Amino acid sequence: MNRVENSDSIPTDLFLEIFSRLPAKSIGRFRCVSNQWRSMLHSPDFTDLFFTKSSARPRLLFGVEQDGECFFFSSPQPKSSSLDFHTKFVSEYSVSYCCGLIYLRNMWIQKENKEAERVICNPITGQYTILPELKANLDGYSYLGFDPIDKQFKLLVMNTRGYIANSESVHQILTLGSGNMKWRNVQCPFTHEPFHERIYINGVLYYLAQCFDVDGTSFYVIVCFDVRSEEFKFIDIRGFCYGATKLVNYKGKLGAINYYSGMRNLKLHMWVLENVEKQEWLKFVYTFPDSEVVDSCDLCVAGVTATGEIVLSMKFTSKRFYVFYFNPERNTLQPVQIHGNNQVLEKKSRVFAFVDHVEDLKFDIMCAATSISPPEQTSTSTSIDHQNEKAITEEVANGSLYKEADKVISGRLFRGSGCLKGTAITAVVVAATGAVAAVFLSSNPEATTELINLVDSYANVIITTLKN
Amino acid sequence: MSSNMIMLKSSDGASFEIEEAAARKSKIIANMIEVECVDEDKAIPLQNVTGNILALVIEYCNKHIVDDDDDVATEEASEEEEEAKKKKVDDWEAEFMNSMSLETMFELLLAANYLNIKSLIDLVCQTIANNIKDKTPEEVRKIFSIENDFTPEEEEEIRKENAWAFG
Repeated sequence: MNRVENSDSIPTDLFLEIFSRLPAKSIGRFRCVSNQWRSMLHSPDFTDLFFTKSSARPRLLFGVEQDGECFFFSSPQPKSSSLDFHTKFVSEYSVSYCCGLIYLRNMWIQKENKEAERVICNPITGQYTILPELKANLDGYSYLGFDPIDKQFKLLVMNTRGYIANSESVHQILTLGSGNMKWRNVQCPFTHEPFHERIYINGVLYYLAQCFDVDGTSFYVIVCFDVRSEEFKFIDIRGFCYGATKLVNYKGKLGAINYYSGMRNLKLHMWVLENVEKQEWLKFVYTFPDSEVVDSCDLCVAGVTATGEIVLSMKFTSKRFYVFYFNPERNTLQPVQIHGNNQVLEKKSRVFAFVDHVEDLKFDIMCAATSISPPEQTSTSTSIDHQNEKAITEEVANGSLYKEADKVISGRLFRGSGCLKGTAITAVVVAATGAVAAVFLSSNPEATTELINLVDSYANVIITTLKN
Repeated sequence: MSSNMIMLKSSDGASFEIEEAAARKSKIIANMIEVECVDEDKAIPLQNVTGNILALVIEYCNKHIVDDDDDVATEEASEEEEEAKKKKVDDWEAEFMNSMSLETMFELLLAANYLNIKSLIDLVCQTIANNIKDKTPEEVRKIFSIENDFTPEEEEEIRKENAWAFG
């Protein structure tokens, strides 16, 4: 590598322009160059600029579960074959993803600790915050959401006994970020069985669940939890969704995808909620173009990118690990083989993928990121209408791709009326997150232990702060 | 397209003739043309840009003026054509930057910044970023002749803080 003479003559803002185009990992390393670079790369102006630029180059985030540990990797979207390793947590794979942050239900700060903690972490930098202890022993699923008005993350923990969230049960909710974080009670007026499958879109958390008719028969619903008002609504989805349905963010709208594999023809049904109030769904049916690579892969839907491409990922790590970008408008399916030079990937393990992940150097859960907004709402709906019109008039049933435009469901909308809103807590801002150190990524076991100890000591400080 | 030619003069006295449309890629020169302080017989002196760098800037501007013309002519080009065209430009830019030393890239960046050519600033910044992204702190210090001014304790501390970036 050649040298650059007189680098002093280069204005700082040009350097920052260059740095803002680097991956987060390079920034972490370059902070170790000199005092000047360290403060330059820590300045709020720079971390804001970095986030803005980084939003324009979203990544696929992969969580890999292996031997009681969670590993996070990412790969640039779209269609890049490179894979970067980021962080490792001693944790069960019980995660909730929202706007770049991860909630881990059971993370052991040290491997030998008896008790696991609930934490919120930045999967890129490994920074994390320990959440206050939940007095009630709740077993249900937890869902992480974001209130875009007050810019607050909230964590909803469902109280389920025998898997059922009863209308009389008291669930728990926590507003993140304030120094004095306190669990509050929240109730849901509907008895239901919450499932793990969830998606967060523009202030609303959606999760899949099962409800029961008076005669005891069950049917599927999507629970909509408004993060700001903390009210529940249900959308009846019987007839087109089932336990394996994947919820997606389709250009800012709620989508539900059923992926049918195992046969020769791989098919994908996507339902998009066009009108929330009227409960109008549009159905799209896609049959994948023939591809030998796809046939050999065990796939699941990872999500839909802001540009409208449906991403499928292999369910397990593999020497030949593929993701697929399906472009519904062109009916093209592009396989991308991802090469990660990491021994974690050599052992068969479950992989979970998230689309449109934006690298953020900050870990400030008081004013964290918002999700990527879709490019042009208006043109999107026009093109859908256009396609539907075409589908109706042409009845293209024999083609490899056809779409149905029936407004299939105008189902019932349950409205939450019996919600108890928790009393507002006074926000005492303690810079807890700032005190949390970055975590342990060394392959050297000694160094790792040392770092974990360091992190542990920080964590204790925070716990103490919180208890007070 | 009328081909008004204007003259640019580098800091080391080299003169270059360039189409006005190409020169307008530079916001600074475009402004000068707007307020009519460009005398057709006189070259515009660019005191901060040497001849070899100015030649690169002009090569870039000439290439991109052709692309802009295409945009106008084929407004209704299909998506595939658009993509093919974009790929052509990308390939040209990659080739253009390919053999350049890092030193030259920084000189070109300073010139693009001085002349205010946004797309060229973007291109050079991204290329420099790609060039240095995998470097270690030690390599970066060498490239930019930066002295390591951390005490060993400080360095250990800051390495720990950023351990996530070394995995």
